[in-house]
Amino acid sequence: MKLIFKIFPLILLSAFTLLAFKTQTKSTNVKCMIQMTNYTGEGAYVVISLINPDGKYEETLYVQGKDSEWYSEIPDWWKFYGKRRANIDAISGATISGGERTISVVKIANDKIDSGYNIRFETAVEDQEYYTDDVQFELTSKSIKNKVEGKGFIRYIRMLPQ
Amino acid sequence: MTLSIWRYSHLLLAISSAIFLIIVSITGIILAFEPINNAVQPYAIKNIKNVSVAETISALENEYSDVLEFEVTASDFVMASVVSKNGESESIYINPSTGKKLGNVAEKAPIFSWSTNLHRSLFLKGIGRFFVGFVSLLLCFIAVTGFLLLIKRQGGILKLYTKVIETNLEQRYHVILGRWLLIPIIIIAVSGVYLSAEKFSLLPETTINHNWSPEVSEEFTKKELSEFELFKNINLDELRKLSFPFSEDSEDYFEIELQNKSLLVHQYSGEVISEVNHPFTTLASRLSMQLHTGESSVLWSLVLLISGISILFFIYSGFSMTLKRRKNKNQKLAFSNKNDSEYIVLVGSETGSTFIFAEAFCKALIHANKKVFLSTLNDYTTYNNAKHLVVFTATYGAGDAPSNARHFKTLLNSIKPVNTMQFSVVGFGSLLYPEYCRFGITVDNLLQMHSNFKPILFLTKINEQSNIAFNSWVKQWSQITGLYLDLKLPQTKTKKRKLRTFKVVGQSNLNSDNTFLLKLQPSTKVKFQSGDLITIVPKKETTERQYSIAKVNNTILLSIKKHDKGICSSYLSTLKKDETIRGYLKDNNDFHFPKKASQILLIANGTGIAPFLGMLDENKSKITTHLFLGLRTKASFKLYQEHVFEMLSKKKLVRLEIAYSQEEQKQYIQDLLFKESALVSKVLEDGGIIMICGSLAMKHSVLDTLEVISKDILKRPLSDFENNEQLKTDCY
Repeated sequence: MKLIFKIFPLILLSAFTLLAFKTQTKSTNVKCMIQMTNYTGEGAYVVISLINPDGKYEETLYVQGKDSEWYSEIPDWWKFYGKRRANIDAISGATISGGERTISVVKIANDKIDSGYNIRFETAVEDQEYYTDDVQFELTSKSIKNKVEGKGFIRYIRMLPQ
Repeated sequence: MTLSIWRYSHLLLAISSAIFLIIVSITGIILAFEPINNAVQPYAIKNIKNVSVAETISALENEYSDVLEFEVTASDFVMASVVSKNGESESIYINPSTGKKLGNVAEKAPIFSWSTNLHRSLFLKGIGRFFVGFVSLLLCFIAVTGFLLLIKRQGGILKLYTKVIETNLEQRYHVILGRWLLIPIIIIAVSGVYLSAEKFSLLPETTINHNWSPEVSEEFTKKELSEFELFKNINLDELRKLSFPFSEDSEDYFEIELQNKSLLVHQYSGEVISEVNHPFTTLASRLSMQLHTGESSVLWSLVLLISGISILFFIYSGFSMTLKRRKNKNQKLAFSNKNDSEYIVLVGSETGSTFIFAEAFCKALIHANKKVFLSTLNDYTTYNNAKHLVVFTATYGAGDAPSNARHFKTLLNSIKPVNTMQFSVVGFGSLLYPEYCRFGITVDNLLQMHSNFKPILFLTKINEQSNIAFNSWVKQWSQITGLYLDLKLPQTKTKKRKLRTFKVVGQSNLNSDNTFLLKLQPSTKVKFQSGDLITIVPKKETTERQYSIAKVNNTILLSIKKHDKGICSSYLSTLKKDETIRGYLKDNNDFHFPKKASQILLIANGTGIAPFLGMLDENKSKITTHLFLGLRTKASFKLYQEHVFEMLSKKKLVRLEIAYSQEEQKQYIQDLLFKESALVSKVLEDGGIIMICGSLAMKHSVLDTLEVISKDILKRPLSDFENNEQLKTDCY
């Protein structure tokens, strides 16, 4: 019993250490191609977010469009992002217009795959419609390699884990 | 008529867009620094013409675990989007030959992104964009109307870049800068409109659509990337952007954007799958972007910077000119009916300043209980009881009628006067213009040839709105008509005049010519210079007199001739030391001692010497200065002797010549000038300055003499030197 007490801190320490390692989860680079429909007008703002199993925003993966004055035009995401306005410079790129396509790389934590998380592609174009879930699907090790058709400004997206 | 339409539109357009233009210019000025700022970054690739796409692709594939795309920017930077070997995706500048990273692609500085937003949308998103686009369009119109006004002002399109003869600073630079910056401003405005029109889908579609799924044979000959002929043949200067295939699937292609076309290239065979030429709109849009932002050339962005600053200046100077013009025009005219009036005064005026003279003249007539009608030359009509017609007119541009006198010629020919009138024409103008008083001459000739009009005076020309010349015309007119006029010309700067008190600190006795010197000390600190004017206001008297002052040891020195009936001079002669008098000081910029000159010749008669006494004292840099003086007797000189000899000994004056009109050889200044014509012509030829102060009669004979000397010795008309501002006069 005494022994247990003596080694208890040690156990605790190793438990924490293990936990610490565990929280530093591995992530996968996923190449992601967005192909727009042939709409006319301004470049589209596209936000790729991770949605947790409760349907809430968990993390912003990528923002296409650098002009922050328009971010509030993507209302659902803005409710999540607008409060804290984390620095997203590293994960943002230029907008693309109708008929164009762009390829970007997003980082997805491995434990978010096959555990009920969704990936959402939200789109908005200045003075035009806004689509909360232009593309949205559950992240599974199978779906992450798919081509998925969009409902709004996106014709389809293709993903490819590296 | 046409002139006023253009001017009115020019002004109206400017008023309606000024606030937006100011915002857009200021942000534009800030944004002009962006390309300059980018160009100083060390990422430009010098030998970009010699690096092939194949070379860059293989360098990048060696260096990174994955490559998404790379592009060549307008400043010859090569920017790549890659995934590094440790799995980080990043945007970097690279060396295209080695694939090595040169630096990170920095985010746009906050000041630039803030300015860009304000510049293109005023923070108002779509509506703001529309506004800015619209203001750009207005700027185009402003530039075009400005150009038309400019042509008119300079007297024809061929004379557009000839010398500008405006003396008013704002007006002068509005013209000078206008004609140089017209083209860049039009380019900025047009490209701005184009970019806006594009945003609002007012232009044809610009997207390039590839056929992504053509029937490609499944069988292809696989080649190494480095073997692709196409990639070996395209160098980076022809490339805009290259995107790598999304996956290893053979239906994912290389997407290549060149300067004028887009290609899809099979990633295994190197075969071109699709080729689309860029439509005109894409090229135009790209050109507009480059011209509007200056992104491809530092030199051009400097031009944009200067244009931005100049737009602010145009707004300032344009409005200041308009305010001045309105101030001059807003004179209230309350006169008799045209058919009752005996005296008809018609005015042709572009800036409204001629009205000031006409009104003063009318007021004097009304004061003399005469019925007067005042109007513009364009309103010429029949006048049932008119006996006198007086025309005051300026000239516009190269001898044209001012806008409110354009129809006079036609009206005069078509309207038959009721009775015969006596007429006199006064032309206002500036000797700086070659067509000095040309329209006045035209009107005079038209009236002379008309049987219903009888001239009573020769045409009188007034240079630079000279009050003295105008008063002398009024005197002549009064004499001929037998109507005494008490004419008061309004002091144009009444509001700015500040009544000051001066203490008498010294006074000489009257000399044989009834002349004396008076030394005054301003009671409050004030800046003045020799050649400025003092207006003395005697107590209880309304008669003011103006004297040219000398500044000696910080006191004002006046030389005054006492006239028996002169109210002011008599008053001044009775002053005792320490008494105070009241008066105004007026800056007389045209009659200051030059700071720089090869030589200076001062010419004065009588009390006209006064300002020169001070100017010689101010000659600190000892410019070679000569003084030619005309006096009555030797005794006359005694008053100035001490001061003049001191200047000679200090070398502030190198030569003194005096002509005595009553003693010795009884000569005048013009005799001295003829005798010293070698010196006089040398002064003119070397660009030296001749300053004349004294009586008008002396001035006229001196100018005549100078004209002869100039023509005989230099074979050039005196007006050459006058135009070159080598002659300065202050005579009365």
